[in-house]
Amino acid sequence: MLKIDSVGLTVSAVPLLDNISIDCPRGSVTALMGPNGAGKTSLLKVISGEHKASQGRVEINRQSREEWKPADIAQFMAVLPQSSTLEFAFTSEEVVALGRTPHATGTVRDAEIITAALAKVDASYLAQRSFVQLSGGEKQRVQLARVLAQIWDHFEYEGEYEGEHEGDAPTDGILLLDEPSAAFDLAHQLMLIDIVQQISARGVTVVMVMHDLNLAAKCADQMVFMNCGHCTAVGTVTELLTPELIKKVFSVDAEVITHPVQGTPMVVV
Amino acid sequence: MKVLNTRLITPRLCGLLLLIALPLVSLLGLMTGPVFIPLADILSISLSGDGGNSQEKLIIEIIRLPRVILSLLVGALLATCGALLQGLFRNPLADPALIGVSAGASVGASIVIVFGSMFTAGGLLLGLSAISVGAFAGAIIASVIIFRLATGPQGTSVATMLLAGIAISALAGAATNTLSYLADNDMLRRISLWQMGNLQGASWDRVGLCALTAAFLAVLIPREAGALNAMLLGESEARHLGVNVEWLKRRLIIYSALGVAISVAVAGVIAFVGLMVPHVIRLLVGPDHRALLPLSALAGAILLVAADALARVVITPAELPVGVVTALLGAPFFLWLLVVQRRRT
Repeated sequence: MLKIDSVGLTVSAVPLLDNISIDCPRGSVTALMGPNGAGKTSLLKVISGEHKASQGRVEINRQSREEWKPADIAQFMAVLPQSSTLEFAFTSEEVVALGRTPHATGTVRDAEIITAALAKVDASYLAQRSFVQLSGGEKQRVQLARVLAQIWDHFEYEGEYEGEHEGDAPTDGILLLDEPSAAFDLAHQLMLIDIVQQISARGVTVVMVMHDLNLAAKCADQMVFMNCGHCTAVGTVTELLTPELIKKVFSVDAEVITHPVQGTPMVVV
Repeated sequence: MKVLNTRLITPRLCGLLLLIALPLVSLLGLMTGPVFIPLADILSISLSGDGGNSQEKLIIEIIRLPRVILSLLVGALLATCGALLQGLFRNPLADPALIGVSAGASVGASIVIVFGSMFTAGGLLLGLSAISVGAFAGAIIASVIIFRLATGPQGTSVATMLLAGIAISALAGAATNTLSYLADNDMLRRISLWQMGNLQGASWDRVGLCALTAAFLAVLIPREAGALNAMLLGESEARHLGVNVEWLKRRLIIYSALGVAISVAVAGVIAFVGLMVPHVIRLLVGPDHRALLPLSALAGAILLVAADALARVVITPAELPVGVVTALLGAPFFLWLLVVQRRRT
């Protein structure tokens, strides 16, 4: 679904990314992790098309990133930035409605989706509130509802998914999240994980930048450790969450234990 | 806990109120002036083609009616362009002056006034005096320079545009001042009166020119409402929502430069309509451009007709420049806005 092939990025003579290759199959969850300035957001911006790769290429649905028109790609790919500055007093509902901008599904269907998206992120009670007056976590939840509304038709469909192979259906969704949980309280961090698992199970490919290793371990199919613009390691959660790699990438001494109930690896510092 | 966001009225109600106010204010505009014309006479003149006395009929047909219609059109253009630019700059305090149109127009008009003898041979162009043509040219040249300065290989940076707009406006201000210094007393008076804006020069030709521009923009601008809403989230967010941001910015700059340049050419610099009207509408019905743009046009039209009527009666038989009236109303409002915004953050 999404293929990053030896991507390099240099902005004003500063190399930000070097030879990154990651393959994200349909319905997979990829967590980009690493210290500040490792290039996680830059990589996300190359995928989202904000930066043009200096070397290599990004392929979305077997088509080069540059060949996609903004209006076409917005049909199935949504991007949640780290933070947003909205100076105008839209209500939360109107902010979520902006997620329907690329679609012509009609006001009735859009209204349904907006209500459902707000409910999904536990923000129904914010619908009529002015976005500018919300707290940081509430704003981020409303923005999450907005990007979910944008790709809603790609995971809330009736009946079973019909296409079997990757790339068969051009309508598979892609969701890019940049530190989505940074402003969330504990309950909403778990809500986010739940949503990511739900939508990826229904075919949406998710790539997210995360700082919390344990949170990422709960839902990531693959982890990518980045450092200084390089890709240090790519693999499953169990492959990457080792004291040696964590020391190498984050310069932190950590223990990795097994979750007593779920059996997933847990990082303890 | 902050209170619930309650908008004062729905867009539909706001539109209804403005549509009721528009003919009432227009009638008021037809009635007022150095010669008061009673409502009954206006109605009989407009309904039967005669009635009233012939002097009143002449005043209405040749002076007041084109003037009221021109005010409607200029007010609508200024307010709509203000709303467009506030959306483009994602700043509710943006104003058409930001893209250098007003300052450029002042230079253009001043050049014609000071070196006017060279231009008089040309006569009138589409009902515009040489001063108006100069103002229009100055406005377009200034906004093109600012746009070019702000556009690089990465696209157009609205932040650079803001700074370039300030610098070019300062430069244009210096040029206007130099011209004022060179000017004799009569020219000086004309320059400063022009800069205050007035609708005295209203004629059917100017109404036609403005109506053509307004009709052109009225077809094109509403199509951008959805994209403008997305732009309020941020340029990259708009891009991710499928908006071709670079082309959108270009179109918005062209539309607003054209709208403001035409207004400045026919009526001089009229301050604060472009800033104030969209802001008030946003306070009333929220920032959705699908409602904001048409409602701003209506409210801008009403405001300018009312301000112009006021300008005609305050110091009769003379009249105040309408730009002075809008600034007198606008400046205190702007200050109030600043105070309120500061308290909110």
